[in-house]
Amino acid sequence: MRKSQSVTGSLDWVLVALYASLMIMGVATIYSVAYDPEHPNIFDISQKYGKQIMWVGVSMFLGFLVFLIDSDIYRKFALPIYLSVISLLVIVLFMPPINGARAWLGIGSMGIQPAEFAKIGTAILLARYLSSLNPKQQSVRSVLVANLILLVPMALILLQPDAGTFVVFTSFLFVMYREGMTYDPIVLRLVNAIPGIKFKETWVGSHFIPILFVVVFLSVVTLLLSNTTIEFESFPDLKLKGIYGVLSFLFLFVLVGYLIMRAIFPRRERRRALVIAIFAFLFSGALSFTVDFAFQKLAPHQKERIELVLGLKEDPDGEDYNRNRAMAAVGSGGLLGKGYRKASVSSLRTNHVPESETDFIFCPYAEEWGFAGTLLLVVLYIALLLRIIKIAERQRSKFNRVYAYSVAMILFYHFAINIGMNIEFAPVIGIPLPFFSYGGSSMMSFSILMFILLKLDSQRKDVLN
Amino acid sequence: MNFDARKYVLITFIVIIGVIYTLKLFYMQVVDDSWKLRAQQIAEKRREITPPRAVVFDRNGNKIISNKTYYNLMMVEADIENLDTAKFARLIGWTMEEVRQRFIDIREGEGYYTSPITGKTTSNYQRVRAYPFMKELTADEISHIAPHLDDYPGFFEEVSSMRNYPYSNGANILGYLSEATREEIEADNFYRPGSVIGRAGIERFYEKEFRGKKGVHYIVTSALNNTVGSFKDGKYDTAAVQADPIHLGLDVLLQGYGEELLKNKKGCIVAIEPSTGEILALVSSPNYDPNLLVGNRLIKENYPKLVQDENKPLFPRPLASEYPPGSIFKLAQALIGMQEGVITKDTGFPCTKSLVGCHNHPSAQNVTQAVKMSCNPYFYYVTRRIVQQDHFKNDWEDAEWGLNRWAKYMNSFGFGLRLETDITGLRSGRIPNSEYYDRWYGHHRWQFSTIYSIAIGQGEVTLTPLQMANLAAIMANRGWFYTPHFVKSIGEDGPLPQFREKHKTLVDPIHFPPVIEGMRAVVEEAGGTARLARTPGITICGKTGTAQNPHGKDHSIFIAFAPMDQPKIAIAVFIENAGFGGTWAAPIASLMIEKYIKGKISDPAKEERILNAQLSNFQ
Repeated sequence: MRKSQSVTGSLDWVLVALYASLMIMGVATIYSVAYDPEHPNIFDISQKYGKQIMWVGVSMFLGFLVFLIDSDIYRKFALPIYLSVISLLVIVLFMPPINGARAWLGIGSMGIQPAEFAKIGTAILLARYLSSLNPKQQSVRSVLVANLILLVPMALILLQPDAGTFVVFTSFLFVMYREGMTYDPIVLRLVNAIPGIKFKETWVGSHFIPILFVVVFLSVVTLLLSNTTIEFESFPDLKLKGIYGVLSFLFLFVLVGYLIMRAIFPRRERRRALVIAIFAFLFSGALSFTVDFAFQKLAPHQKERIELVLGLKEDPDGEDYNRNRAMAAVGSGGLLGKGYRKASVSSLRTNHVPESETDFIFCPYAEEWGFAGTLLLVVLYIALLLRIIKIAERQRSKFNRVYAYSVAMILFYHFAINIGMNIEFAPVIGIPLPFFSYGGSSMMSFSILMFILLKLDSQRKDVLN
Repeated sequence: MNFDARKYVLITFIVIIGVIYTLKLFYMQVVDDSWKLRAQQIAEKRREITPPRAVVFDRNGNKIISNKTYYNLMMVEADIENLDTAKFARLIGWTMEEVRQRFIDIREGEGYYTSPITGKTTSNYQRVRAYPFMKELTADEISHIAPHLDDYPGFFEEVSSMRNYPYSNGANILGYLSEATREEIEADNFYRPGSVIGRAGIERFYEKEFRGKKGVHYIVTSALNNTVGSFKDGKYDTAAVQADPIHLGLDVLLQGYGEELLKNKKGCIVAIEPSTGEILALVSSPNYDPNLLVGNRLIKENYPKLVQDENKPLFPRPLASEYPPGSIFKLAQALIGMQEGVITKDTGFPCTKSLVGCHNHPSAQNVTQAVKMSCNPYFYYVTRRIVQQDHFKNDWEDAEWGLNRWAKYMNSFGFGLRLETDITGLRSGRIPNSEYYDRWYGHHRWQFSTIYSIAIGQGEVTLTPLQMANLAAIMANRGWFYTPHFVKSIGEDGPLPQFREKHKTLVDPIHFPPVIEGMRAVVEEAGGTARLARTPGITICGKTGTAQNPHGKDHSIFIAFAPMDQPKIAIAVFIENAGFGGTWAAPIASLMIEKYIKGKISDPAKEERILNAQLSNFQ
């Protein structure tokens, strides 16, 4: 065991640099979006840019505190930390709703959103639990416990309701996938029930077949289609909701699969093939319905918020007002953008894109910096994510690795959904762009998430595997 | 089982998302232009600015048309959100019912279009177009409304200007403006609903020269349709350019004086500067104050009254009414006779009175005396000689040849043709030729004895007062004229090219002096027919006319120019149903001449008599 190195010497400076540059770009964008000619000073605390800089300062201070604490404390006190954020999530349900959701704890603008911090607590407890397991001893019980750790905060967040954060919590599924804590026993059992196909030992079988990917794929398709209707040219009165499109597609897919199996398999296996087909259809159908229902149930408050900002607007963009405005802003950026502080669609002054300083901050950034800027941003985020995965993989302790993966996947979700909202790749669910969007809670929670990771990484060599 | 390989799955997943997002962003931002258009639709608005129309000056630099600023409250239905009708009605001082009705009226006012192909009827009304909701608000009225317009997206104020006529004269010359019709809007991209267009007079004739160049202002608007700022700091904005000022040859004071003199009379005065063809005054009586037809509100109120007025004040008599010229026509007959060689300046004819009536006077021994005494038989003989020149044995054929020759001369005086003056509403008058009489009597069924009343400017011959004044100008110039015109210069460009072209009559200038001497004698000598026109210090050459009129008393006509040498003004005065030309028209003409040349009137009693005259035909 080597001696503990100095705190700064073992810091991952690449990650720090990526984190800092995103934060600086974020503040610059907020300064542009919310610029008020009467308060030109960027440090003016009455303005959103001044506040954001204050939040950056507060986050730095919290980061400093994190570095003072021995990293082992998170592992030791994982359960108390988790329980305290859970209790915050319970308390927040008794707060008066703001914009239709009981998400804020505190007074006025100085409130915090416990849901943001719930991610940290969940990540820590999940890391604690998964690291305590012997990988060779996976059981139904361990899968259930791991899922319970996720489901409790998710259920509480659903009650607020906060669709965005709820969806983000599913990012932990990827972490569990990385640790082998997934449903692959079920999948493999199903797959291997097909005679002649033995996926168990192959790379494809163990890494790609896991049901997680079926779940993710189906969920994404369902989310994207759940707000659409399908129309038929020959039957103009018949309008189907998007979910039925998903179901019909699934049915066709499973039917074709079954017919192929029937053709290939010997007679005695056909009954089993039918059973597999029916169960596969029922499972994916139920999943799609759940996702659709959750989104439909959660979406109204999202829509209401938009209407609150704009009044009921008769507009060619209609229902998908936000996304169309956002896409117009992003698309009009061109190659090099309109120039700093020149956004005409998405600045707060014109307000064509609601929430352009928070959830839709990508709009003004893309409008002002064009493709040159958005390429840089995407590259920075991908670099940040890959760096975190690299850090995760070099940890000796399983706790550290699970935690690092949690950070990576949470950030990935935020990145993918937030930017995806602007380019038609993700449904419009309000979640912030990490380090970029205006807001104290998200800035603090992402920073703490990051600083704990940096602290764990800097002390990785102290830990015995 | 070793799960380490799963990191590659996750890494691939993340990288693929990054690549897909980058490609999509590249497509949206660089390749696909449709989002740029959409962004423009959303955030940028194009506002057109119509400049005020050109101002107009008279020949002495008096501003006779200026502009007053007014405001329109414009409405774009597509931008209206949650209109609180009650509150809005209170703001503009209407009832709620009126506000609702106004929306319906605007829509209905645009009419409907039925497609000839599909048979579908659609409204011409467009929700995205701006329509004037309230028009012609004064600065005071708009100042109560404008500060609250931010609460009513879809409504905005627009500055507009309306005409103002400081002198109130010359309504029939200047014309008026009214709203462009839907057809006009569709035919010319310059006009928008609520734009004005010249309706009569020079405003209509010089529409393009008056309206100027529109400016465009691109602005960035917010989601609530408020103006946030100019787009790209006004890089693409263009300024509205007012058209160059227009200078008229008109003398507005003379015009006003003429209108004063013709009060309570029906008739007209046309005064021309012979050396340039510029119209100095063109009075049509009765007339109206041009300020009565400024803006929709006033037009709506006053136009029907003017249309229904029995005295027809909107009718531009000097341009459009065709009267028999009476004896003034004899000037042209004498000139043509001499040019044709059928008479000389010393030819005399007895005053026989057997064929045409005449007043009592000694027989004219020469052209000068004939003009002075306006002898009807004399000109009967002259015209007969012109028409029947015995070139053909057959009298009918001879008359046909002679009349056409005569008509050609007359046309060279600008008679029987439209004098293409820069104004609308002109008529041509009539000089009959063989074709004309063939229609009436049949080919070779007429000769001079059939049509002799043309000799003394009666019968089929008609002239407009503008043509009569032009005859005076031709006499003043001894044989040529410029087409009479109003606009002396557009900006610094001078008159239109067609007004710089000298027209020569077919009569040689050497034939003019004896006729002009006769015109001088008409005014200056004992036995002349227009002694009332005598004006000390100015030698006026004139000719009276008294045109018979089947509908009532004779028309009183006088044309003149003065001074005799280097004439400054040529004038025609036509007073309907006023009797003998020397009684009314001649003194009026002399007053106009004196006013123009001297600037003051030497004989107040003469002026008084005219001003106080109440001629019977005036309702």
